[in-house]
Amino acid sequence: MRKIHADVVVIGGGSTGAGVVRDLAMRGYSAVLVDRADLAQGTSGRFHGLLHSGGRYVVSDPVSATECAQENAIVTAIHADAVERTGGLFVCPPGDDPAFGDTFLDDAERAKVPCQEIAVAEALRREPRLNRRISRAIEVEDGAVDGWTLVWGAARSAMQHGATILPYHHVDAIEVSNGQVVGARCTALKPGERVDIDCGFAINAAGPWAGRIAELAGCHGVEVVSGRGVMVAMAHRLVNTVVNRLAYPADGDILVPVHTVCVIGTTDTLADDPDRLPITPAEVRQLLDSGETLVPGLRQARALHAWSGARPLVKDSRVAGDDTRHMSREMSVIDHAQRDGLSGFVTVVGGKLTTYRLMAKKAVDVMCAQLGHNRPCLTDQEAVPGARQGHNYQVTQRLAEREHDRLQDQIVCECELASRGQLTRLWADNPLATLDDARRQLRLGMGPCQGGFCAARAAGIACQTKVADAERATAMLRLFLKNRWIGSWPVLHGEQLRQMALDAWILQGAHDIEHVAPTGEVPGELRPCDGSEDVFDADGKAEEVAK
Amino acid sequence: MNWPPKPSRKGSPNARTPADAAPRAADARPSAAGGRPAAKRLRATPPTTAQSGSDKAGLAFAGHELARASLDACVKCTICETQCPVMAVTPLFSGPKYAGPQGERFRHGESVDGSLDYCSSCGTCTLVCPQGVKIAELNAQARAVMKSGHMPLRDRLVSQTVLMGKVMTPLAGLANGALANPLARLALEKAVGVHRDAPLPTAQPQSFAQWWKQRGGSKPGPQGRIVFFHGCAGGYFEVETSKRAVEVLERVGYEVVVPKQGCCGLAQQSNGLFDQAAKSVLKLCDALLSTGRTPGSAKGLTIVSASGSCTGMLKREAREILGVTDDRLADVSVRVRDIMEFLLDLHEAGRLPLDFQPLEMTVPYHAPCQLKGQGMGMPALEVLRLIPGLTVVESGRACCGMAGTYGLKKEKHAIAQAVGKPLFDMVRATNPDLALCDTETCRWQLAKSSGVRTEHPIYLVHKAYGLD
Amino acid sequence: MSTVVVIGAGLAGLASASRLAEAGIDVTLVTKGLGGLQLSQGTIDILGYSPQRVTNPLAAIAPGGPLVPDSTAATGLIHPYAMIGAERVKAGVEYLAELLGESMLVGDPTRNFQLPTALGGVRPTALAAPSMAAGDVKAGDKWVIAGLRRLKDFHARLVAGNLARTTLPDGGSLQVRAVSLDLPAVKGEVDSNAVIYARACDDQGFRVRLAGELKPLLKRGEKVGLPAMLGLRDPLAWHDLSQKLGTQVFEIPLGPPSVPGLRLNDALLAHLRRLGVRLVNGNRAIGYRAEGDAVTGIEVATAGAPRVYRCDAVVYAPGGLESGAIAMDADGELSEALFGLPLARPDGELLHGRFWGAEQPVFRVGVAVDSSMRVLGPDSAPVWANLRAAGGLLGGANRIAEKSGEGIALGSAVAAADAIIEELS
Repeated sequence: MRKIHADVVVIGGGSTGAGVVRDLAMRGYSAVLVDRADLAQGTSGRFHGLLHSGGRYVVSDPVSATECAQENAIVTAIHADAVERTGGLFVCPPGDDPAFGDTFLDDAERAKVPCQEIAVAEALRREPRLNRRISRAIEVEDGAVDGWTLVWGAARSAMQHGATILPYHHVDAIEVSNGQVVGARCTALKPGERVDIDCGFAINAAGPWAGRIAELAGCHGVEVVSGRGVMVAMAHRLVNTVVNRLAYPADGDILVPVHTVCVIGTTDTLADDPDRLPITPAEVRQLLDSGETLVPGLRQARALHAWSGARPLVKDSRVAGDDTRHMSREMSVIDHAQRDGLSGFVTVVGGKLTTYRLMAKKAVDVMCAQLGHNRPCLTDQEAVPGARQGHNYQVTQRLAEREHDRLQDQIVCECELASRGQLTRLWADNPLATLDDARRQLRLGMGPCQGGFCAARAAGIACQTKVADAERATAMLRLFLKNRWIGSWPVLHGEQLRQMALDAWILQGAHDIEHVAPTGEVPGELRPCDGSEDVFDADGKAEEVAK
Repeated sequence: MNWPPKPSRKGSPNARTPADAAPRAADARPSAAGGRPAAKRLRATPPTTAQSGSDKAGLAFAGHELARASLDACVKCTICETQCPVMAVTPLFSGPKYAGPQGERFRHGESVDGSLDYCSSCGTCTLVCPQGVKIAELNAQARAVMKSGHMPLRDRLVSQTVLMGKVMTPLAGLANGALANPLARLALEKAVGVHRDAPLPTAQPQSFAQWWKQRGGSKPGPQGRIVFFHGCAGGYFEVETSKRAVEVLERVGYEVVVPKQGCCGLAQQSNGLFDQAAKSVLKLCDALLSTGRTPGSAKGLTIVSASGSCTGMLKREAREILGVTDDRLADVSVRVRDIMEFLLDLHEAGRLPLDFQPLEMTVPYHAPCQLKGQGMGMPALEVLRLIPGLTVVESGRACCGMAGTYGLKKEKHAIAQAVGKPLFDMVRATNPDLALCDTETCRWQLAKSSGVRTEHPIYLVHKAYGLD
Repeated sequence: MSTVVVIGAGLAGLASASRLAEAGIDVTLVTKGLGGLQLSQGTIDILGYSPQRVTNPLAAIAPGGPLVPDSTAATGLIHPYAMIGAERVKAGVEYLAELLGESMLVGDPTRNFQLPTALGGVRPTALAAPSMAAGDVKAGDKWVIAGLRRLKDFHARLVAGNLARTTLPDGGSLQVRAVSLDLPAVKGEVDSNAVIYARACDDQGFRVRLAGELKPLLKRGEKVGLPAMLGLRDPLAWHDLSQKLGTQVFEIPLGPPSVPGLRLNDALLAHLRRLGVRLVNGNRAIGYRAEGDAVTGIEVATAGAPRVYRCDAVVYAPGGLESGAIAMDADGELSEALFGLPLARPDGELLHGRFWGAEQPVFRVGVAVDSSMRVLGPDSAPVWANLRAAGGLLGGANRIAEKSGEGIALGSAVAAADAIIEELS
C-alpha cells in the first residue's frame, strides 16, 4: 500500500479534472488527480473535436455561447499545440429557413459571439465540397482541438506546478469524518496496489460518472444524465473549415476537420449507463445521411471509425427527462457543504471541453470560498508546456516532422505518421502504457488502416525494447484490435470494408493471430471503463450488446 | 441460400462505369487545391500556411479532385512500394505510398515534404496499384504546389521543348558540337543543373515540318484520312521516326494530314508548371481539331502519334493531373492513338497489310512507363510479332530512369542511372546493336547509357514493309 | 483461334491463364494492378482449420471430410470445395507445384506443414517455399529467431517469446530464443521493408555479411528462423545462407510486402510472358459485350477511349471483398462490380461487434457456381454460358479463417480452365 498526502484530491482525468488540478496547482495547493483509466479516456476523448466559437449555442443556450466565445480565445492561446485555427462556417442548406440566419446574427451579437455573414460564393470557394445550393453562410471562430493533447497539456502543466497525476487509479471510497472529507481510498490498477490519499478536500470532476462519485461521499441525488453522442471520422479532410448547419442543433449537423480526418457529428440520445454506449450501423447511416445535406457525396466517401461519448448533462426540470438535446450545456458547480452539509467536497459537472478552464476556475473558486482562502485563478496567464512556442497546431505538422527525421527513424504507424522514436519515448516516460494509451497520445492506428499494419509492429517494438514480454505484448495487441473493432464494424462499408478484409488477411490470414498462444489480461484494461461498449471478457467471449 | 433482391443484370452490357473514370459526386467538385485563400478573419489570425499556399497562382486546378478522390481507395497494401524503381535504388525517396496517399492526407497549405521531388513521375505505382489510387498523379500535384514560386531555372528550361527545338534546329551542327563538348556540358550543369552525362537530344538539320512541306503532303488513300501528331521531339529531334511513321501510315493506305502543332505541355506538367501546361495542351487541341474534321461528318478523324508520352498526356494526364476538363481535350483524347496501337487495331479489324519482309533478328523491346500507363497492353510487341523471322524480347523492367526529364537533373542523374541499370544490362545482353522503345527521352537514355542504338518500334515495321 | 479473357492477376487468374495458354488458347489477362499474391504469405493453403487444426487437408475437404457439410450447415451457403471437389484441388495444387518446380514450392497436399508466423503463431499450410520447410515445428527442436533492427515488420523477441510458450499441435514444445542484428540493407537506410532486404540478399556480399554477423550468435544444434527476405530473384539465396551458417535456416512470412508471395507472382508472370499471354495491365475492366447467353467481349478503361477485347469465354477471378470486386455500400447493399452478378450471402447479419472467436459472416459473401465454375443465378441456372469464376469471388468459404484461399483459387482455376479447354476444343 502507498500513502499520499495532499491538500486536494481531484477525481476524474478528463478535461475538467485536468483543468481543476492545474488550477489548484497554480494557486499553490498540493493536488492529486486520479482516474480509473487513462487521461481523457472518457468524454474528453470522445467528442467531435470542435473548439466552439459559441455559434452552436447562440440561439439555444446564449449563456454557454458567451462562455464559449471567451474561452475559445484563451484555450487557443494556452493550448496552441492542441488547437488548429480552422475557422468555422454556419451554412443554410436548401430546405432550411434562411431567416434563421437573422435570428442567429442577432443572438450572436447579444451573446458577443464574433461572426459575420459572407457571400455564398466565397464560402463555396473556401470549401468547394459544400452543397452548392446553400443560401447563406456565416463565418465564426470555430477551431479544432485534440482532447487528448489538451488534457495531457493541462496535466503536464499541473505537474510542473507540483501536482501528481495518477491515471489508472480507481477510487473505491471517499473517507468522511465528522462531516468533512479526509481522504480517498484508491486502487492502482497497473500494477494492482492500494493507494490511500489523505486530503482535506475532494473535487468530483468525474463527468457522466459524477453522480456515482458523489454517492461514494454519501451525497445522494446528484443526477447526471448521459447524452450519448455518436460521431464518425471520414478518411480524409473533406472540409478544412468547421462546417455547421445554420439551424437548431440536430443530428449530423457538423463537420470538423481534426488532424487528418474529418468528423461528422453527432447524435444525441439518452444513455442509461455511460459505460455502455453501443453504436449501431443504423445510427452511422443516419449521420451520413444528414451529413449529405452539408457535403453531397458524403455517403460514398470513406468512413473510418465511429465512436460514442457520454455528455454529462445536469438534470434539468425544465425539459423532458429523455430530451438530452435540449438540456443546458451550462456548467454546474455543486457545493456539498451547502447542499449536503459535507465539508471539503465539491462536484463540478456539465459544460463543454471548450469551457473546461472556466469550469475548473469556478469549482476551485467555490472551494476557496468554502475554505476562506483568497487565491486568484492564474490558468489563463500561462501556456501549457507543449504550447509555449505559441504556434497553433497545423495538419502538416507530422509530415514536416517525418520529413525531418525519416532517414534516422522508422515510421510505425504509416497512416498517421507516428515514428518508432515517438513510441519508445512514450514508453520511456510510462513503461506501463498500453497500445491504446499510445493510440490516444500518438494517434497510433487511427488512420485508414485502423491498426492493420502498425498494431503488430508496435507490439513487436514493445517486446523488442523489453517494455513487455511476448505474452503482455500479444495481450496488448489483442486488446488494441478488439477496441478498434468496437468503432470499426458499425461503419464498415465501401472502401473501409476492403481495408478490413486486408487487415484480416494480414493479421488472421498470414499471422494466424487467433492461434497465437493464449494470453492473460492486460492489467487495468479489460474492464468496461472507456465509455464504449467494451464488454468483452478476457477470454474473448462476448456479450451480445451491440445489435 | 439467400439472394439479395436485386436481379442479375443479364443482358445489360456496360453494367457500370468504373469508380476511377467517374469520380463520385462529392469528389468531382472543384477544389482550392493548395489551400484556401486568405479569409477576412474576425480575430487577428497569424498568417497560416493555408493562406500562403493559396496565393500561389494556377494551383486551383479542378482536376485535383480526381486524384484526391482516389486517395480514399488506398488500403496501404505496399504493392506500389515493391514496384517503385526509385525506391529500389535510393532511400532519399520516401516511396510512392508515403509521398502519395499517405502524405496527401497531411497536405493542406504549405509544402513541407521536399523529398517527394525524388519521385520520377514514372507512374509505375499508379499502374500496379490494384485499388485504383492515382499515386503518381497525387505526387505530381503535390510537387506543383511545392514548386510554385521557386521553380529552378533548369526545370523551366527543360520543359521548353518547342523553344529548344526551334533554337537548335537551324544551328544543328553547332548545337550538337557544343553538347558533345565536355566543358560545355560542365558549364551547363553548373549554370542550370542539367547533369553533364545526361542524354540530350541530337538536333536535326531539318525539322519534320520543313520536310513535310517540301514533300508536299500526302496523297489520298483507300483507308481514308488520318491526322498525324508528331510532338515536339518528333518535330525537331526525332524527325526520322516521324518520317517513318508517316510513310508506314501511307503504306497501309491512309492519307496523312499534319496540322501545324505545338507542345502538349507534358514537360511543363512533369516539372510542376501546371498553368503553362494546361494552356499548351489546349492550344495543341485547337491545332489538332483545326484540320481533324471530315467535312460533313460530326465524327473527327483519328489522331495518330509516334510519341508515346505525348499521347499519354492527351489521353489522360491532362485530365487526371492538370484537371483540364475542356471539351476540346475530351474530343481529342478519345481520338488519339499511339501508332502501334493504331496498327494493332487495324490488324484486329483485318485491315493491316501483312506483306512484311522477313527480318531475321532478335531485338529487346522496352515499353516505356508513359505507354504502360495507358493501359492497353503492349501493342508494339503484338505488331512486331507479325513480322516473320523477328523475335522481340520484352524487357520486363519497370523504367529506364529517365522519366521525362528526371534523369537530366544533376542531383538525380545517379539515381536515374541506377534505376535503369537492369534495363541497360538486359538490352546489351539481348542485342548489342539495336533496341526498341516507344518514347523519345527513354530512347535517348537507353542509347546513351547502354551504348545500343535505340529506335522506335516503327523503325522495324518501316523496314519490314520495305520502305527503307 | 479461340480467345479467352482472364480478369484478375491473383493466383486464380494467373493459374487459369497459364493453363489455358498451355492448351494453345489465345489468352488476354486483364488486370487493374498487380494481383494479391504479394500480400499473402507465399504458401499454398488448402485447409488449415475446420475449425480444428487440420493435418490432412485433402482428406478434410473430400466427401465425408469435416469441412464441407459443417460449413454448409452453419451458414446456409454451399462451400466452394463442394463444387470444386478434392480431386481438382489436388490437380490444381499439383499443377502449380509442377509449373514452379521444387526450387519454389515443396510439400504434400495430404499433409500440412505447421509453420511459425511473424507473431509467433503456428500456422498450418499444405505447400511452402523450400526456404520455409525447416520451420515445420517439431517438439524438442532448438530454434533461434533472428530479427533485424531496421526491419520493422519482424520482432524476434515477440516471435520467439510466443513460440516458446506455445503447445505444439503434437503436444510438445520448442526451445526458442531471439537475437537481433543491426545490418542495413542499403547504406544509410533505417526503415527498409522486406523487399529491400530481399534485393540485398540476392547479393552474395550481403549474405556474407549477414552470415558473419549471425554465426557468432548461434549455439550448437539450433535452427535459425529469419524473416522472409532471403532473396527475391535468387531462389537459392536461403540455401547459400544456410551453408554459410552451417545449420538449417527457415524463413518466416511477414505481412505485406511479402517476399515469398512476390517470388510466386514474378515466376508466374514470367511464365505467362513466355507463353505469349497478352497482359493488359493498368485499367479496370468496366463493361462487357454479350450476345444471346454468352459474353463476347470485355471492355477495358484504356486511357483515352475504352478498348473491347473479344472473347469466346471468360475466367473471372477478380478477388472478393479485399479487392473491391465485391462491395457493400453505406446501406449494406452488396454488389459485384463488373457483371452485376448475383451474390450469395449467409443468413442473418453480415457484421457484428464481437472481435475474437466469432467470424464475420461478410467474408463468406460471393458468387455461387456449378461444378464447371459457371456463375449461377438465383434460379440455379448459369448467368452466362461462358462466364466462369475462380478464386476469392466464390462465396461460401471463409478463406482467411479456414486458411483455404490458395486451394480454392487453384482448384477453381483448374476447373474453370479445363471446362473451357474442353468446350473450345
